[in-house]
Amino acid sequence: MVIPDFTHKMSAHCESGALTSLLNHAGLEISEPLVFGIASGVFFGYFHKAKAFPFPTFIVRNKPGQMRRNIEKRLGVEFAEYRFKDPALGMSRLDELISRNIPTACQVDFFYLDYVPSWERVHINVHFMIVIGKEEQQYIVSDAYFPQIMKLDERSLEKGRFAGGNMSPEGFLFHTRSVPEKIDLETAIRKGIKKACFNMLSIPMPFLGVKGIRMFARKVTEWPNFARDTEHLSHEIMKINILLEDQGTGGAGFRFMYATFLQQASSILRLPTLKDLSQELMLIGDGWREISLFAARIGKNRDLGAEKLGQLGAMIAGRADAEENFFRKLSKVVH
Amino acid sequence: MKEKEGFIDYPEQQVILYVEKEDGQFGPMQTGSYISANFIDDFRNKRIALEIELRNQLISNLISPVRFYMVLEELTLSELSARSGICKSTVRKHLDPGGFAKATVKDLEHYARVFNISPANLLQVIMVHDGEQMVSQAIPENKIHTLSIHHSTTQNPFIVLTNIEEKK
Repeated sequence: MVIPDFTHKMSAHCESGALTSLLNHAGLEISEPLVFGIASGVFFGYFHKAKAFPFPTFIVRNKPGQMRRNIEKRLGVEFAEYRFKDPALGMSRLDELISRNIPTACQVDFFYLDYVPSWERVHINVHFMIVIGKEEQQYIVSDAYFPQIMKLDERSLEKGRFAGGNMSPEGFLFHTRSVPEKIDLETAIRKGIKKACFNMLSIPMPFLGVKGIRMFARKVTEWPNFARDTEHLSHEIMKINILLEDQGTGGAGFRFMYATFLQQASSILRLPTLKDLSQELMLIGDGWREISLFAARIGKNRDLGAEKLGQLGAMIAGRADAEENFFRKLSKVVH
Repeated sequence: MKEKEGFIDYPEQQVILYVEKEDGQFGPMQTGSYISANFIDDFRNKRIALEIELRNQLISNLISPVRFYMVLEELTLSELSARSGICKSTVRKHLDPGGFAKATVKDLEHYARVFNISPANLLQVIMVHDGEQMVSQAIPENKIHTLSIHHSTTQNPFIVLTNIEEKK
């Protein structure tokens, strides 16, 4: 069976896409950029040494799961959430929910999703997709990263839902329980922007927000110390492109999607300044895209000497300056 | 980014980008993945080279199968320990051939689950003739043209049925 009337839609990002699809299905017309912006999704964090990562890395969005919590709080939407210790119980609860025609979002390790091409699969425990049906031993899945509905073997889904490790999914499921009749979008947008500005400018940690971009700029020149050899370094440098562009960001590490949010917010709040800022962020995003293209090129050419990495660091530092200036202006607009 | 700059002709991997449309509005466009369209062969070749290097170390008894898959799947020691439920100091021992010899069958089952392989594949490397050279089936990127190898799990978690068929 497949849940009737569910519309599958490809999105830029799995979590904001899953949230948008669930809200749309529940009758709330809202775009992915609005969900992302209200949820204060835009962020930056740099991790030079972390137990969970074999190599320095960075993130360009807030903590997985935080978007859902922020949407609940700011829109007044209620989600039902379930976590399980027992995989059998977790799977039977999912079956029960879809038998009641409730599209249900699952948190999974991306690595176990059979329908993802093998070269794209990585162990990352924070992928979200929506289960919308089951046929024999296969689940019918709406995954925002794919243009069409996918099928996933029962065992693979169980493995993905109950993978251990950092940010383990613990079989996590959620679905929309209720959507309020009236939603105060204006207040939600203002709160979302304020929190995003705080996250980018004021968290007192040297690796988060704009300070994190600066740390990334300084530390990228040290990456050769972590690499096994040139091939490994090339792989990691080229991953900068994947993290900024390909891993579900909508381009430029979510900056293009956040610019789209600001443009939509400008109309809703009737604040033309936000439209100007959305255009400014689009240009900042173009700079991030130049960084990802540069990283891909030097990685491909194995041109990874101190000079090129220094150049890469300088380009990243340029984004830190631009974003600090941008978020300071943005915070003034919504205060 | 302008819409026309975002277009990449690569149907194999589609992504959504937010772009500036001709009317000045920002919105989503479905397009191909830039990195896949331009650099996928480089990614594949690096991965295959890494697999060959690790396999040579494995068959020379310099590393254990646990290290082989841990490096290939880009897991850290802490992460593998947390995912397998085997304590970190024991995993560390299992990374070397001497320590691996002391791993229990249950440990192998836990590792195999994390690596998404059958336990049998922790003790064997299946090589397949691809028409020009022998390649291993340890990573799916290898382009095996003539044979298809498929593992079927059974009720017994330690026994796997390996089906080798000539591709039609």
